[in-house]
Amino acid sequence: MPVAPAAAFPLLSLIIFSPWAGAALLAMFRGVAPSVSRTLALIFSCGPLALGLVALNAFDPGRVAPQFVEDSIWMSRLLNVHYHLGLDGLSLVLVLLTGIVTPVALLASWRVTHYPRAFGILFLLLEGAALGVFLALDFFHWFLFWELSLVPAFFLIKLWGGPAASRAAYQFVIYTIGGSAFMLLGFAALYVATGTLDFTQLAQLAADGVIGAKLAALGGIWPKAVFVGVFLGLAVKVPLWPFHTWLPSAYAEAPVGGSMFLTGVMSKMGVYGFLRILWPIFPAQLHAATPCLLALALAGIVLGAYAAMKQTDLKRMVAYSSVNHLSYCLLALFAVSYATGRTAPTAAAATAALSGTIMQMFNHGLSAAALFCCVGILESRSGGKRGLNDFGGVRTVAPIFAALCGISLFSSLGLPGLNGFVGEFLIFRGVFGLDAGAATIACFGLLATAIFLLTFWQRVFHGPRAGVAAGEFADLSGIEIAPLLPLVVLMFILGVWPQLLAGLINPIVSSWAAHLSLP
Amino acid sequence: METTVNHIVVVPYILMEPLIAAALIALFLRRRHNIAAVISVLAAALICFRALKLAFTGLRFEGGFEWLRLGDFALSLGVKYDDLAALMLVIVGVVGLCVHVFSLGYLSHDHAKARYFGGLSMFMFSMIGIVLADNIFMMFIFWELVGFSSYLLIGHWHEKQSASDAAKKAFITNRVGDFGFLLGIIWCYYANGTVNFTELAALGDKHALVFSTAIPLLLFCGAVGKSAQLPLQVWLPDAMEGPTPVSALIHAATMVAAGVYMLCRINVLMVPQALNVIMWTGTVTAIYAALCAVTQRDIKKVLAYSTLSQLGYMVAAFGLGSLATDQEGRTMVVAAGVGAAMFHLTTHAFFKALMFLGSGSVIHGCHHEQDIFKMGGLAKKMPLTFATFTIGVAAIIGMPFLAGFFSKDAILYLAYANNRAVFAVLVFTAVLTSFYMVRLWKLTFLGTPRSEASEHAHEGGLTLTAPLVLLAVLSVIGGYTGIYPKVFNGVFELIPEAHGSAHTVIFATSLVVMLVGSGLALTLYNPAVTDSLEQKSPGLFAALVALKNSFDRVYDYYVAKIQQRFAMLLNFLEQIFLAGVIIRGLAGLVGLVGLGARALHVGNLNAYVYWFLFGAVLLWAYATGALAF
Repeated sequence: MPVAPAAAFPLLSLIIFSPWAGAALLAMFRGVAPSVSRTLALIFSCGPLALGLVALNAFDPGRVAPQFVEDSIWMSRLLNVHYHLGLDGLSLVLVLLTGIVTPVALLASWRVTHYPRAFGILFLLLEGAALGVFLALDFFHWFLFWELSLVPAFFLIKLWGGPAASRAAYQFVIYTIGGSAFMLLGFAALYVATGTLDFTQLAQLAADGVIGAKLAALGGIWPKAVFVGVFLGLAVKVPLWPFHTWLPSAYAEAPVGGSMFLTGVMSKMGVYGFLRILWPIFPAQLHAATPCLLALALAGIVLGAYAAMKQTDLKRMVAYSSVNHLSYCLLALFAVSYATGRTAPTAAAATAALSGTIMQMFNHGLSAAALFCCVGILESRSGGKRGLNDFGGVRTVAPIFAALCGISLFSSLGLPGLNGFVGEFLIFRGVFGLDAGAATIACFGLLATAIFLLTFWQRVFHGPRAGVAAGEFADLSGIEIAPLLPLVVLMFILGVWPQLLAGLINPIVSSWAAHLSLP
Repeated sequence: METTVNHIVVVPYILMEPLIAAALIALFLRRRHNIAAVISVLAAALICFRALKLAFTGLRFEGGFEWLRLGDFALSLGVKYDDLAALMLVIVGVVGLCVHVFSLGYLSHDHAKARYFGGLSMFMFSMIGIVLADNIFMMFIFWELVGFSSYLLIGHWHEKQSASDAAKKAFITNRVGDFGFLLGIIWCYYANGTVNFTELAALGDKHALVFSTAIPLLLFCGAVGKSAQLPLQVWLPDAMEGPTPVSALIHAATMVAAGVYMLCRINVLMVPQALNVIMWTGTVTAIYAALCAVTQRDIKKVLAYSTLSQLGYMVAAFGLGSLATDQEGRTMVVAAGVGAAMFHLTTHAFFKALMFLGSGSVIHGCHHEQDIFKMGGLAKKMPLTFATFTIGVAAIIGMPFLAGFFSKDAILYLAYANNRAVFAVLVFTAVLTSFYMVRLWKLTFLGTPRSEASEHAHEGGLTLTAPLVLLAVLSVIGGYTGIYPKVFNGVFELIPEAHGSAHTVIFATSLVVMLVGSGLALTLYNPAVTDSLEQKSPGLFAALVALKNSFDRVYDYYVAKIQQRFAMLLNFLEQIFLAGVIIRGLAGLVGLVGLGARALHVGNLNAYVYWFLFGAVLLWAYATGALAF
């Protein structure tokens, strides 16, 4: 495969490294005032969004192949590794999401008094690493970004988190690294077998049946083990039930901005991995595993929602609802894989399911981030309380807060007119055509979601004033509205005009749906 | 051609004006209560005006645009404006305007008037969306939005725990039905490739429609939730926690009737087995709700159960389905179910909105007393309310030549012709209807005042009385299909009409029914300080109360004993097995890493950043070959 000519302007590298450069600069400004370092971090964090919009402007939505490709030989002396970046519809959507969520999370953390500069630096490092994951097309540096994202996340949780943050942070990192270790081994085996780590080439080899044949040649349990290794790394990250146990405590103990980024962006890294790596490179193995995986995704949807219903800690509730929402994404992907080759899946159903997956990723990023932000506001107002029963009647004293939080809640439970609905509808439409039983079971998750989100809203905002709302409770200040407003505005825009997002992913999803086959 | 285009242009206005009003109020007028109220009423007046004008032009059209395209798969939004939609739009417009005007007086001193009117405008927008939708998917969008507006308005006094609980209950119960609806839409899409009403009808004409019992029944689930049919009826009585005008508009005249409207829209998908289920659901709801209404003391609750019962009538009428008639020697099959259901929906919207607003006037006059046993003698204190309410009661119990008489007879005739068992149940329901309505009327307005509140009752201002008069007029004349211009013929031609001996049977039956029911009520509740039924027949009374409570008991049991325990069990498994055993098993490993990490933990944050960047650079250099080991 010929190496594509290098792009004239390394836009994608800039997107990835601009926050890192910002972090390095910020690290040099010792002893600046907290407000300056906050502002600088915010400005640097907006870089990827601005560059992402440049990319969006120049992006040709009609093309399936990655654009703005940067591909140069990196370490051929040791390994056949390329520095290969590319941006297609899927990557673009996630780059934009990262670009939006990071500044918003920094705004939500404006009141961090404890080392604000270090907080900003870690956040910028985290942003760059996440962007790297969404843009890298070679396993080698993809994996570096993947692992590097853990380091700042670990410190953000541990140093700025709640009382049990240390344990949560260790659990998070160990669990994720544990998963990644298997993935690394899997790719090492893959490299030995094929001699390349390039995603595009690997996908092509997989489609031609070469990977299957080469792995089969290894014999024994190896063909399966390689798949399982890669699968584990991704499943922990998403997380797929039952690999989610690190998630509630990590999300709950992380500082507000950290929770927003973890759920808004990092959880998408896992789903992205499924779509970009596991499904194209191991189509047959994934297909063989789908009966079991569909059950796990359904378990995530239904059990995640019921577990959320039982939580009294609002952050843990939103955390479990993330398990539930992300499981819809995986359900759709598994259903497509399940139907491939088994029945003749209609292209329309597969298109709907996969488009729904990508839209759900973006929409969940917005709504979950907004919800964590709202819980953060409650927490900061009440001196660290975030129990379901610690509040009451907040709507009476803070109608603007109630409205913004209410919109986020209703977006999360899929009210038409807000963004969450479209993705969920498409997923159900698609999955029903591929595996009607699974769609029916998943409906229970929708019901439970409505119950616990309305319970959240009702206990905190309705009824007689109680808890902190019984005393002085001012409505939101400008700096508290600032992170919520862009998210809420986007919820409306994408709810009314989903084609904005759909137009970007249409070609790539259509091409996936048109080439559904097993090697 | 020119005029056609002009009128199509009007449609987006009808839809968008209330939305703009709601948005303006939400964004800018939250504290400007009176301006907000005026804007909202203005929007309602415009809707009413445009709906009437559009209906009387006689133009019917449809059209849409693609909202979301994904490869071969597209979702569209559009308008289907036929006679059915025109009729429904007029009902929504007229009743909506009456309720808006009434609200001006009823909530004149409410501390959140702006929010209330914003909610009403939001509701009007959503309801008009349902009426105009040209496909089931779009209907579902607005279906959810009316549910949301209803949620907001039931919980208008959200500081009150009971109101807030009722709002949540309504939303969640509706959502249960909506899953069926959603699956039905998706199944229909999957099976037929379209959810557009006109395209489905075209497929039906070509006999190319995929028929299945499941699709209409799943879609019917949506109607069961929204129109509060058994077993999802529990939310409607609780929804009376909302302001009374809201109950009149949403929970009597329009939103709850949307289920019936939706069924009429998807008539083409119906199969006999599904119609059978629908018919019996409606019939059982009608009798069940009528039995419940007999024991109620709260004026609004009586009306709520009466609404349930009447909705049961409409659903049963739809389920009774098509009727073969002989016309000039040929047997024609007409969708008589649609005609009868829509006819009753129309008249019911008028007289039930009238009675709800009348009850609002009573409650307003009695300083928020809602117990009918604490009223009495209001006929003299509130003559106009008394007169109009009397017309409403006469209409619902089927007094000859008032609106309810004609539409109820149409349903009874349909039942008589198609299913005698249903006929018997519906006739008995009619007896109960006249019994509890006359009971309500007698206890509220006749006799002597039984409390301080009713002693000092007074008639409200013009904004309260004018809507009552308008609705009373409509309740009198609304049953004469002749008064409707030909523009609604698409619906009214479908109304079944009894001829010959059947006519006599139906007429006699309904007359007897009305006299028996009201006679019983008048004798039993004379005089009435306490509930005479409860004293004279405690066993029967207790049985009826138990029947009313049975559903809530079952659901409470389900929530407390099954759902909560299931969630608790899951949570326990989560904590013990997954988090506990599996993670603790890793604890040894965590400890080791922790030791290593502690060695690097120098306490200075900058150090970590430099380590991070240093590591990255080192790796980079190594990889590019700048650094050779």
